[in-house]
Amino acid sequence: MKGLVIWIRTEDGSDEAILDKLGTEIEERGGRVEVFHSKAVENLGMEKNDKAKAVACAMLASHGVVVITSGAENPSIKSGEKLEIRIIEESDLFNTAIHDSFIRDLELAGLVPAPKYDVHPDEEKEILRKLQDLGYLDD
Amino acid sequence: MLVPPHGGRLTDRQYEGSEAEDIIKQVKNSALLTLNAREKNDLEMIGNGAMSPLEGFMCGTDYESVIDLMRLAAGPVWTLPVVFAQKKGDPDVSPGDHVGLKDVEGTIWGDMQIEDVFQADLIAEADKTLGTIDDSHPGVMYLNTLSGTYIGGKIRSIRRRKTESFQNYRLDPKETRVLFRARGWKTAVAFQTRNPIHRAHEYIQKCAMEIVDGLLLHPLVGETQAGDIPPDVRMRCYEEILKDYYPRTRVAMSVFPAAMRYAGPKEAVFHAILRKNYGCSHFIVGRDHAGVGNFYGTYDAQMIFDQFDPDELGIVPLKFEHAFYCSKCGGMATPKTCAHDNEYHIFLSGKKVRAMLIDGILPPPEFTRPEIASILMEAARKGDN
Repeated sequence: MKGLVIWIRTEDGSDEAILDKLGTEIEERGGRVEVFHSKAVENLGMEKNDKAKAVACAMLASHGVVVITSGAENPSIKSGEKLEIRIIEESDLFNTAIHDSFIRDLELAGLVPAPKYDVHPDEEKEILRKLQDLGYLDD
Repeated sequence: MLVPPHGGRLTDRQYEGSEAEDIIKQVKNSALLTLNAREKNDLEMIGNGAMSPLEGFMCGTDYESVIDLMRLAAGPVWTLPVVFAQKKGDPDVSPGDHVGLKDVEGTIWGDMQIEDVFQADLIAEADKTLGTIDDSHPGVMYLNTLSGTYIGGKIRSIRRRKTESFQNYRLDPKETRVLFRARGWKTAVAFQTRNPIHRAHEYIQKCAMEIVDGLLLHPLVGETQAGDIPPDVRMRCYEEILKDYYPRTRVAMSVFPAAMRYAGPKEAVFHAILRKNYGCSHFIVGRDHAGVGNFYGTYDAQMIFDQFDPDELGIVPLKFEHAFYCSKCGGMATPKTCAHDNEYHIFLSGKKVRAMLIDGILPPPEFTRPEIASILMEAARKGDN
């Protein structure tokens, strides 16, 4: 899978819980995820700015990891053959339709795995009953 | 685990009951646009997930990408446009409008949130997708009826079960997927047909069944051209042959409510992708699949699959030759497996079979099982084929 950096743009520093939530969502589908908090830059002994963060994220993502981070400005790195950068406004993550559409685009581009089930388990039971009624499961 | 849907997940934009009533209420004061027969079929198949990952009629970016690159703009392989045409007499609409979708009788079948209204070069579309601009091609004839303006956007479709034909055989992709799992199938092969079943089809299906867990018989019951055997006759033939000649636990039959486009090779890939959404891992591609007249080369519909990485297609095409009964072999065979001359082969064209049936002559049992021949003859007498 091509490396991906999801860059959440925020004016005044993103709530790190938002990054973690998105990370969990992708991880639950089987994706390899690294959530890159602002503190990580400091912990790595790097200069605390968006440029340094972008470079570190790109390096991580180039190993096929989905890296989720945030920044006040657009990242200094660009999409390339082995790396895709996708930017989303923090406020858009709270809009269900925009959030779903953003994730869907990532799925279609093969950047994050699709949900693990094709039919929701609750619906599956209902369908089994219908198939029984239609005689498909008589044998 | 079954093959995943195309683009990763099944679209689910089909509504019934109170949810459908809500849609009808919501479009009551909106503009209503008219669906033609093909668009009505497409609306149903987008809604039920057969056309996943599509969530609506294509916008300009997807349309251009599909006709030029055989891919949706987001990347997945997709070989034919799925579009909604502006009709004469319908109200003018713009991006941002919410509209209802009705058939020619006025029944509402869904709605669309319009994202794009764009002009298409229909000659270029014919050339690139059908491989011809010849007016005698049914796909070109269809395009000639359109205005050239397409309207794209996400849809919601309304399911009206009581009006559906073949109600007991109308399974959506999520339903066939649950069925396959319940039967313990991990692999399934789909057989698409718009013809009644003859021994050659039976042979090909059974060859395919040797390598997979199950067979999905998936007769197309959407719009076809005049002269094709009507779906109810074809379904009767299948019901009859399934009684005695197939193991019940390894075959499932369901209808495929798509309209034929007669686009040959590109439609073969399109049909395969849609069957992947139904949970099939394999798809039978005969010679001249989805062809018409002499517009396509004998093996075009098989060779087109070689243009794609197998992983991005996600369904394996099983490419078959024409099958026949060989009197010297004493069984069914194809040119791949039979060493004998044509004089030993029993094979009849569809035209020849129709002529025999009209004259009251039963085709030989080596070509069509007698039970099937009787159904076809009865239909021919009634003028159904």
